[in-house]
Amino acid sequence: MNCEQLAALYEEYALGVLEGEERAELEAHLAKSGDKCVAGVAEARWMVSQLAHAAPDTQPPAALRGRIMDAVKTSADPARAVVPLEKPKSSTQGAIFPAWAWVAAAALALITGYTIRQMNNQNDQLAQLRKEMKLATLQNQALQNQLDMDRMVAMVMMSPDSTPLKLMPKDKNMPMVHAYLHPHMGVAITADQMPSIPSARTLQLWFVPKNGKPVSAAIFHADALGQIAFVAPVTLPRNEIAALAVTDEPAGGSPQPTTPIAWMAQVN
Amino acid sequence: MLLAVVQPWPEGKQPTDAVLMERILQRDTGALEALYDRYGRLVYSLVLRIAQHPSSAEEIVQDVFLQVWRSADRFQISRGPLEPWLFTMARNRALDFLRLKREKQRRREDSDSDIVPSAVVRPDPEGDIDQGRRAEKIRALMTSLPETQRRAIELAFFEGMSHSEIAAATGEPLGTVKSWIRGGLLRLRESLGEASS
Repeated sequence: MNCEQLAALYEEYALGVLEGEERAELEAHLAKSGDKCVAGVAEARWMVSQLAHAAPDTQPPAALRGRIMDAVKTSADPARAVVPLEKPKSSTQGAIFPAWAWVAAAALALITGYTIRQMNNQNDQLAQLRKEMKLATLQNQALQNQLDMDRMVAMVMMSPDSTPLKLMPKDKNMPMVHAYLHPHMGVAITADQMPSIPSARTLQLWFVPKNGKPVSAAIFHADALGQIAFVAPVTLPRNEIAALAVTDEPAGGSPQPTTPIAWMAQVN
Repeated sequence: MLLAVVQPWPEGKQPTDAVLMERILQRDTGALEALYDRYGRLVYSLVLRIAQHPSSAEEIVQDVFLQVWRSADRFQISRGPLEPWLFTMARNRALDFLRLKREKQRRREDSDSDIVPSAVVRPDPEGDIDQGRRAEKIRALMTSLPETQRRAIELAFFEGMSHSEIAAATGEPLGTVKSWIRGGLLRLRESLGEASS
């Protein structure tokens, strides 16, 4: 099939219904074709995403917004997440009583004071428990996210369609970065013993095309253990990619590399 | 981590998605609130349609917006507008949930398909076309499709089924299913073309 004939399949490809020979033929075509066809698929993806509007309009629960913001604020600054519980306020009343009444009142005050202290202790314990629960939930969420990412990385790494690549460092003191390039699932990047970089800087992954300027694939940092494991989407046809490269860029990344290549691998 | 102090936007002026994402990068929680107010209902509607379970939908939506907060640096306005990025992420996560549920039901451990959002390109600049107008167009289009054709597209978009899976689910010949979907997508293209003109 030629370019025009295959262009009719872009939307079906973006929708995810294409399979078998049709899908393979389209992907092979995309790998060979130029920017026009790739842009056509990207436009089809936008168009298909608009089908989201076909979902029945449903108002989310009002509490959801608050839960999201609580989770975000907690993840941004754990100290802010601790919502102090209101402590019960004790009140006193003055009156004229006989002596026995004073004794009874004193006893009652003692009991009340003890009860209030117990309540305060319980409130403190409750607040502490809530704080621990929130932290545990966040940790669980972070672990789940990490697990999801690790799972994606593993899927890409183990796929027979992935091409393993070694990004060699320009600085021999730096570790090697491994890449697994899959034509559809993305490129998985892994590394150990990566150096920490200042917060004002970031590492940026680039697809270097055979013709044209590098295309940004992702910005990333090593974690506290110096490890990297993530999957970035492949935004160029597989056959158009001449190399993968990593540069050191200002935080937020750059439209084009602004520093020399720090790691690179040729893609055959 | 401390939250950054950022200037509020002028009263009465709605910030663009790009400005909100920039603010989110600066750790401005107000920007995420504004983003949620803009897209929360749409994302929830989409996710609930796919997941079919309110509490699961809430978890997925929370996850999506947390992901926006955490991965704002991965969003690049130069590669396309926010809305399809958000919709694609929400759809993929909801479909992921659906597949996981089906896998559990079938007691299989096979992994599901690609859930990595890809770059999208919208043919017109952000904000040029009213979101509500596009939504109306899409709903009107879906309503106008014959029941079988609409069902086929819904199975593809909301349940992540392929041509052959839809054919198996509906009991229709594969060629018929392909024809329905192709025709429906063609009309979608035409409809969105009209909306942008």
